[in-house]
Amino acid sequence: MVNILEVDGVEKKYPGVIANQGVSLHVREGSIHAIIGENGAGKSTLMKILYGLVRPDAGVIKVFDREVSLKSPQDAIALGIGMVHQHFKLADNATVLENVILGSEPSRFGFAIKFEEARKKLVEIAHTYQLDIDPDESISNLGVGERQRVEIAKVLFRGAKILILDEPTAVLVPQEVSELFTNLRELVNKGLTVLFISHKLDEVLAIADEITIMRQGTTVASRKPHDTNKKELAELMVGGELPRPKAGAQNISSKSILTIKGASYSRADGREILRGVNLDLHGGEILGLAGVEGNGQSELIELIMGLMRPSSGTVEVLGLNTVTTPTRDIRNAGVGYIPQDRQRDGLLMSAPLWENRILGHQFSQPMAKGIWVNKGSAAEDSKRVVAEFDVRTPGVNVLASALSGGNQQKFIVGRELSGDPHLIIAAQPTRGVDVGAQAIIWEQLMKARTRGAGILLISADLEELFSLSDRIAVIYGGSIVSILNPSTTTAEDLGLAMTGAISA
Amino acid sequence: MTAKTPEKKRSKAKKFFTSPARITLAIAGLFFIISLVELITGATDITSPGTSGATLRFAIPLLMAGLGGLWAERVGVINIGLEGMMIVGTWTAAWFGYLHGPLVGFAAAAIFGLASGFFHAVLTVKIGIDQAVSGLAINLIAAGGARYLSGIFFPPVGGDRTVSPPVDSFPTFTIPIIAPLLEKIDSQNIFFISNLAGVLHGLTKDLSLVTVALLLLVPLTSWILWRSKFGLRMRFSGENPMAAESLGINVYRIRYIAISISGMMASLGGAYLALVASSVYREGQTAGRGFIGLATVIFGNWRPGGVFAGSMLFGFTDALRVRQSESVMSLVMVAGIVAAILGIYYSIARRWKFAAISIGVAFFGLWINQRVDIIPQEFVTVFPNFTTLIVLTFLAQRLTPPAMAGMPYRRGSE
Repeated sequence: MVNILEVDGVEKKYPGVIANQGVSLHVREGSIHAIIGENGAGKSTLMKILYGLVRPDAGVIKVFDREVSLKSPQDAIALGIGMVHQHFKLADNATVLENVILGSEPSRFGFAIKFEEARKKLVEIAHTYQLDIDPDESISNLGVGERQRVEIAKVLFRGAKILILDEPTAVLVPQEVSELFTNLRELVNKGLTVLFISHKLDEVLAIADEITIMRQGTTVASRKPHDTNKKELAELMVGGELPRPKAGAQNISSKSILTIKGASYSRADGREILRGVNLDLHGGEILGLAGVEGNGQSELIELIMGLMRPSSGTVEVLGLNTVTTPTRDIRNAGVGYIPQDRQRDGLLMSAPLWENRILGHQFSQPMAKGIWVNKGSAAEDSKRVVAEFDVRTPGVNVLASALSGGNQQKFIVGRELSGDPHLIIAAQPTRGVDVGAQAIIWEQLMKARTRGAGILLISADLEELFSLSDRIAVIYGGSIVSILNPSTTTAEDLGLAMTGAISA
Repeated sequence: MTAKTPEKKRSKAKKFFTSPARITLAIAGLFFIISLVELITGATDITSPGTSGATLRFAIPLLMAGLGGLWAERVGVINIGLEGMMIVGTWTAAWFGYLHGPLVGFAAAAIFGLASGFFHAVLTVKIGIDQAVSGLAINLIAAGGARYLSGIFFPPVGGDRTVSPPVDSFPTFTIPIIAPLLEKIDSQNIFFISNLAGVLHGLTKDLSLVTVALLLLVPLTSWILWRSKFGLRMRFSGENPMAAESLGINVYRIRYIAISISGMMASLGGAYLALVASSVYREGQTAGRGFIGLATVIFGNWRPGGVFAGSMLFGFTDALRVRQSESVMSLVMVAGIVAAILGIYYSIARRWKFAAISIGVAFFGLWINQRVDIIPQEFVTVFPNFTTLIVLTFLAQRLTPPAMAGMPYRRGSE
């Protein structure tokens, strides 16, 4: 088989940063080619170069054996290269069809859209590649997996022969991942080529025909999945051995630090989100909360933090009733909260790190001095967090938005673990971060557990739940359907419980 | 997936709620109540041709401001400057109308409106100034500029520092056959039918061609937004400009065009005030209509038909203000009856909070009706603003504004 895409010696430098250097990539036609690497290894820059969003400083790109120069996404599209972005570029307030045809609308006199023709073409594509989509559904009604299929359809509608998928599984739950993989196989069977960016090794081993590993801006190796294993790939990615989370001595306290009794919550429109949830968390243990997203996890967190009131039942945090205690007092009693959407709830993106360090601690020593914030100690403690959690940043005066996602997350975790909280709510603490950052975050959570803190770990990552949790509670449809022991449960059983198929 | 089914059902329910059949039914029901009240009280002004004609005349400037707001917000830029752009329209229409006749006045208003919109686009899209700040600046510049220029241009030709010389107005026409027929039915005093004919009669007689032309902009805007390539791109520029950009759409260009048209629409609304609703430019003529226009955009859920409905409602309350205040009393009765019906509906639906509010309003209406003889003029004056407030409060939950309206957007941002 021929190489459909060849990249040789591609280089891209930004002031002070080498994003890509000596990058080489050979992709065979009709294969799934995975590119793996840590956050900041240069995967995204390479993809942007291939999609014409960024122009390389040096190097050769060949598509179908012809040297090309990609100046814009239009050039890439014209050559048959399509990009499925990690953050979906869809408008909620429009239909699937409208989202798909945007920019390549078939039209009469260049003005009136021929909707019937467009619909026919989309239905045909959906049929050929077995993508389950409804052209007239509004995007706002679609789940994450369906949205991703729309993104793929968008690219196919433009006649793409090479599909670039940028971390496509980052936002998917296990069931959706397997659906996606089925779809990708179908695309390849029909003669298309897929470039698959990821940092999840299991998935790459499961789906790829060939794997190229990137580290510090360059391609370091290529492997075939049957010639390699997870350990080798991980070491190639980080350039050394990975620290594993060590389960320290466990000393579970007898006193419960989080007690939820029969908590229910109904939304204003009458929909019941939580039904009679009972949970009990002691100091020194990690309670995993598994579940497909949207089964009440977010609401449960908000009940615990006192951001919402339960419609019935009680939530007690460190002996405080969350209905009568203001959130500020709950936090001050010793609660750390790692929110699941770090950019929305965890950081002020346009504020420097030291200001972000103050968030949530703004009323207590040493961040506050009377009614003033204490910049000196905030900056000092930010430096401690940066050092302890290996946050890669030029300093504590840079804006939070200048950090990569993984480093932002390490900073948040560092902030929330400051002051040794008794209870830590960790929602998706390692979502979208690379294996190096993940190892640090896991290690620190384990440390907090050994110290005697109780941790509620809300995660969609089964590996994370299994490696950290002492118990795993499964939430489905707003109820806790089972509480499992991770050492005696298989991933399949947990997956089934999460979809409500069994309530063991 | 199991979680998705209720969502789909909900969206269907929503579609049914906003379906044309339902809306027609609701309007017919409301009209039935009005007819009933008129039958009981003997007041006839709510459905008189005079009221409906005045409603239309008051509604057109609001409609144009609303469409202006719609064109801008659909591409993601809020246009607080509508008021100023209307002032541009009133002034240029009057001045060029005085010099070369009303048609030229209208054309001039369109051109200067485009320019004022383009100015807003340069400030917000290219330079990236906060949209509210830019809009406010335009309002201030337009008001100040109009006053300054009036002082220079108007006094030498027979106007004064705040009023232009009179301008020829447009001819009006009455739709033949239909209008006289409606008039005849109106005079028969048949319950409901005559009331309806009265309203329609007011809408078909003494029409200005300009009115008809401007009304046609409502379906035209609808068609552009939902059936045309440009409209699709407009909507995406307001919903998710990053998505549009990633597909090779020049969001800046789309925004330039749409915001310029926004300015033109608002300016034409101003021209209507100067050339059709009156025949002179007068300082303060726009009287905050640009802001009410913004409210109609929200009221109309960012849809042209909704903007039209909103401007008719606000136009109606405006029309009542200048007519007799007894009709306001009739309206209080109508509102009371509607609130009572809603109260019963919500009680059956077990939504007690809404039920309590509705029944409270109903009793308040009854109390006013029993205790108050004449509604004070002040109340009549604030009535439109009050209606706006109530309507927006109740509607706020169901709205689907363009996701990026009012947010800064720079090319190439993620």
